[in-house]
Amino acid sequence: MRSYIIKRLLYSVIIAWGILTITFILLRVGPTSPVDRYILNIAAKGQDVESVRQAIEARYGLDKPIIEQYLLYMGNLLQGKWGWSFSASQPVMELIGSHWIYSFQLILLATIFAIILGVGLGILSAVNQNTKIDYATSIFSFIGISIPGFWLGLMLILVFAVYLGVFKTFYDTSYPIWSLENLRQLIMPVLALGTGELAGYVRYTRSAMLDNLRKEFVTTARAKGLSERTVIGKHVLRNAVLPLVTIIMFDLGSIVFGGAYLTEIVFGIPGLGQVSFNAIFANDYAVVIAVTLIGTFMVLFINLATDLIYTYLDPRIRYD
Amino acid sequence: MKTWFYTRRGIVKAVNGVDFDLRQGECLCLVGESGCGKSVTALSLLRLFDSPPGKIVSGKVMFAGIDLANCPVEQVRRVRGKEIAMVFQNAQSALNPVFTIGDQIMEQINAHGRYNRADARKKARLLLEEMNIPQAENALNMYPHQMSGGMKQRAMIAMGLSCDPSILIADEPTTAVDVTIRAQIMFILQELKTRRNMSIIFITHDLSLVREIGDRAAVIYGGRVVEIAPVETILTDPAHPYTRGLIACLPDISTNLKRLPSIPGNTPNPIDLPEGCTFHPRCRDVMDVCRSTEPALVNIAGVHKVACHLYDNAGAFIA
Repeated sequence: MRSYIIKRLLYSVIIAWGILTITFILLRVGPTSPVDRYILNIAAKGQDVESVRQAIEARYGLDKPIIEQYLLYMGNLLQGKWGWSFSASQPVMELIGSHWIYSFQLILLATIFAIILGVGLGILSAVNQNTKIDYATSIFSFIGISIPGFWLGLMLILVFAVYLGVFKTFYDTSYPIWSLENLRQLIMPVLALGTGELAGYVRYTRSAMLDNLRKEFVTTARAKGLSERTVIGKHVLRNAVLPLVTIIMFDLGSIVFGGAYLTEIVFGIPGLGQVSFNAIFANDYAVVIAVTLIGTFMVLFINLATDLIYTYLDPRIRYD
Repeated sequence: MKTWFYTRRGIVKAVNGVDFDLRQGECLCLVGESGCGKSVTALSLLRLFDSPPGKIVSGKVMFAGIDLANCPVEQVRRVRGKEIAMVFQNAQSALNPVFTIGDQIMEQINAHGRYNRADARKKARLLLEEMNIPQAENALNMYPHQMSGGMKQRAMIAMGLSCDPSILIADEPTTAVDVTIRAQIMFILQELKTRRNMSIIFITHDLSLVREIGDRAAVIYGGRVVEIAPVETILTDPAHPYTRGLIACLPDISTNLKRLPSIPGNTPNPIDLPEGCTFHPRCRDVMDVCRSTEPALVNIAGVHKVACHLYDNAGAFIA
């Protein structure tokens, strides 16, 4: 088991290195440069563009061959130096350090919301198969799956913020993270990000529960004289949870990389999604690479965690 | 008793008139081919079939003054596993793969009584020892997939016995195991009968097992009991043409047959049972009356009952 984990961690490092290299190269082959932004300002002031460009490129090492830049970057990274953000004029880690919490709270709350409601409704739907409850849940989840999160976000803003005035139209960073006001203003973003996942979990839970409800051990459990609550909540759910863990962990990856970015932009939440969105348009290499790398490690970590959770949930699974 | 399943393709009359009694310390065998309704009969006793689509449309299951077929579910639940326990055919799929054997046994003990963890565990260990499971303490911590087929089946029986039930229903407990394990399980069941004075309902399609363990046997065909009698009578002096056919199919080692005998035709489809006697399309002694009228179960000789038109209402042989 320990050697398995070590092996997986080594693979993770190799994968992360590969992604880092690809990101690095892709950013450099584009026709734009971080200097462009400076140049625009400087040209307007009538200064000599070419000398300024050379000065900036020399300062950040952008005039060196790309291989040398790459080696320099890697060398710095290994020493824990993540570089300088041109656009924010501060070290990359400082920038990320002051923004990650906004993404984290959003992803965490949306995931908890989706899991609790999704799994709950899925169980309800399966236990009441082919009844009105089941049909209502199914219709709700089909609609939920079909609606894109960003559109739902815009509609929520339109209805609840613009028409009804229940919420503010933008995310207010003046509230402390651990305040009720902050939690309240996260309701709409969490709905926008979590509803799609929730709807999916309802479907997956329903079918996993139905699969296991028909298994023989369920009859055994009933024959033992256990209450229906124990039969469903323990014997069936514990088996149905296995495929669910796969889906939920898999989804977490797409939330981290996709859903949360868009939601942050729609609601103006200054999280990592917005940071990297701005960094991409500013050609802020170091920031883009750092955010990509953090996301990569998150996904790799989630995958490893999934595999380890399996061994706990299903005693038949062992990695040797 | 009748248990029907209301499906989209029609009404499946899985149990369509099964009637028997069970005495203390007796082993009653339910015998029949696959699909004759013997397993559904067993499930119906404790209302364990899926409902819907299943429904007990008529009949009673009388146990200690309670009608299990018509009482509230909560009352049946208290009988399940405590008074009447069930052992299933395939321990591999009947045990939950994600819980240890110990957990699964202790869960049943705790469902019907208040024990602390140590006491429940000790009780579970003693049960496994009674089932001749080696290193019982160790086995408590094993998951079903870590055990052999025979061990699983014995653990399943141990679980069934965990609340000292007065009736054990064993639904083909030896079908999924090999011959040596089968011998062990049959030995255990016989011991239980004599030592604990327990009543056993033993469901099987194997007449040699009936001879080994049964006191009485009920032959089931097309969801009905067609003959019920002491095992000796059934085996040596069967009255119903179907039972006679079954006995004739038993291979005899002393004779040298080129081809094993069989009963022509198939078991009836429970959605579309034949009119009259359900066995008439396959019966060698079929008469006109068999095609239209369902024969009643009549007493032909003391404890020997049969449902066949070859016998009149007084139980005399007419044909």
